[in-house]
Amino acid sequence: MIEAKNVFLRYPDGTEALKNINLRISPGNILYITGASGSGKTSLLKLFMGIEAPTKGTLNILGESISQCSSKDIQKIRTMMGPIFQDFRLIKGRTALENVLMGMRFLRFSTRSMEEMAHDALARVGLNHKVNSMVENLSWGESQRVAIARAVVRKPSLILADEPTGNLDKENAVKMLELLSSFSSDETAIIITTHATHLIEDFLDCRHIVMEAGNLMEKGWVEGV
Amino acid sequence: MKYFFKNIGYFLKEVGTILRLNPLSNLLSLVSTSLMFFILAMMIAGWWISNDVVEVIQGEAEINFYYHEDLQDEEIEELVNRVMTVDGVETALLINADEAYNRMVDILGKDAEVLKHFDDNPFNSFVEVKIDIHEIDAVISTLESIPEIENIRDNREILIRLREMGGLIKRIGLLVVVAVGVATLVAIAHIIRQGVYNNKEEINTLRLLGAPEGFIAMPFILEGLLLNLAGGLLAAVMTSFALMALYSQIQGPLPFIPMPPINGLIKGLVLMLILFSGTLGIAGSFLGLINSSKKGKIKVIKAMEQKK
Repeated sequence: MIEAKNVFLRYPDGTEALKNINLRISPGNILYITGASGSGKTSLLKLFMGIEAPTKGTLNILGESISQCSSKDIQKIRTMMGPIFQDFRLIKGRTALENVLMGMRFLRFSTRSMEEMAHDALARVGLNHKVNSMVENLSWGESQRVAIARAVVRKPSLILADEPTGNLDKENAVKMLELLSSFSSDETAIIITTHATHLIEDFLDCRHIVMEAGNLMEKGWVEGV
Repeated sequence: MKYFFKNIGYFLKEVGTILRLNPLSNLLSLVSTSLMFFILAMMIAGWWISNDVVEVIQGEAEINFYYHEDLQDEEIEELVNRVMTVDGVETALLINADEAYNRMVDILGKDAEVLKHFDDNPFNSFVEVKIDIHEIDAVISTLESIPEIENIRDNREILIRLREMGGLIKRIGLLVVVAVGVATLVAIAHIIRQGVYNNKEEINTLRLLGAPEGFIAMPFILEGLLLNLAGGLLAAVMTSFALMALYSQIQGPLPFIPMPPINGLIKGLVLMLILFSGTLGIAGSFLGLINSSKKGKIKVIKAMEQKK
């Protein structure tokens, strides 16, 4: 699903964001990436989303080599991903349902099945009573769940969540991680970045990697940490 | 395009949302496009009317010639028929002395009393020749070579000036129409670019979700098209009222100016405005989107970096 070999990423200003990353993520994996701010977590996610290309090394995502991809290939890869952004990136002036539908309209779903899937996704994150609420009227937690529904609704092969526990207390953060883990399947891998290492100790059967100054350290499975 | 029909309802709803989210900006865009189209329509109307007037006047271009008095009727008839065959001559009509006298009476009106002081008719018969103004030099040169013709009254300078004026009006009109057309296109492209800028967050999010560029662009193209069509229709209404007012001002005191029929003029302008506004709307939208799209990737990366 994702295979990185000796990947380096250097920004135009000379910052070495990622150094010699070697990583293999298979379908069904739940991967936690932890590390302090500026350690390279977001840069790694940018590589996975095709926003950046490696300056050195090879990176294969969902069967495509990112360095050799055309913009059309990257667009196609992105349709197989479910990104959950740190700031959610919901579209204002639209309802929760419209926001969830927004990621599906250009895919090969019929209008009817699209709406059914969107309602199901919102129900799964506990927002079936807020389907027609404008996103600007939702609370922070509700907005985050709309973002999750939008990411998972199209049954992606890869779910990428950037700091989903950022503004949550421990209890809600654990609930959030449980909710995200519940979308794991044999076909779907989940990658979650967080700086709260202590939160993931309760999650078994998850891989854990730590980023530090652009270097990746495999910590193994959570049960072995 | 494959998503277009499936999502037409969504695209139109998005256009509504885009328009609703920036009401003042869109209202100003509508006002400015309608004013630009109004100016364009008035320029074209002015060009159309002056072209028509010049063409009517040019169509009336004529020269007169006098033949030797000793010519017999048959010879005169033969001369007229011969002139008719000259290239550039449209009609040749013999005006006898009596008709020449009556014409002068009509022209002088009340002052025609002065003609009564003559014992005999002071006017001679002549031949009135209507010509193609563009062939004036060739026609006069041929007529000068006919020995039976004694004298030609050609108003050559006026006719040449008229011909030059016609050409000048065409060139200036075309230049103004092209200039206003280009200005409209640039302004519309700018308005669409502004719309894209106002919605950059949404566009970046759609890109990150894997939406194709065509899908992202469609609401903006439709927005440009609808804004321009609305602007074109408003301009059509304003142009119709302005032309009706102009005609009532000109046709009363200046009835001799050969203006083209107002209904045909308004119909032509409305049709042209709709076609122009639609075409310029789509072209301007594409231009604005191409410009924004080049910076699209940079914007996505910058937006992500800001979150870092």
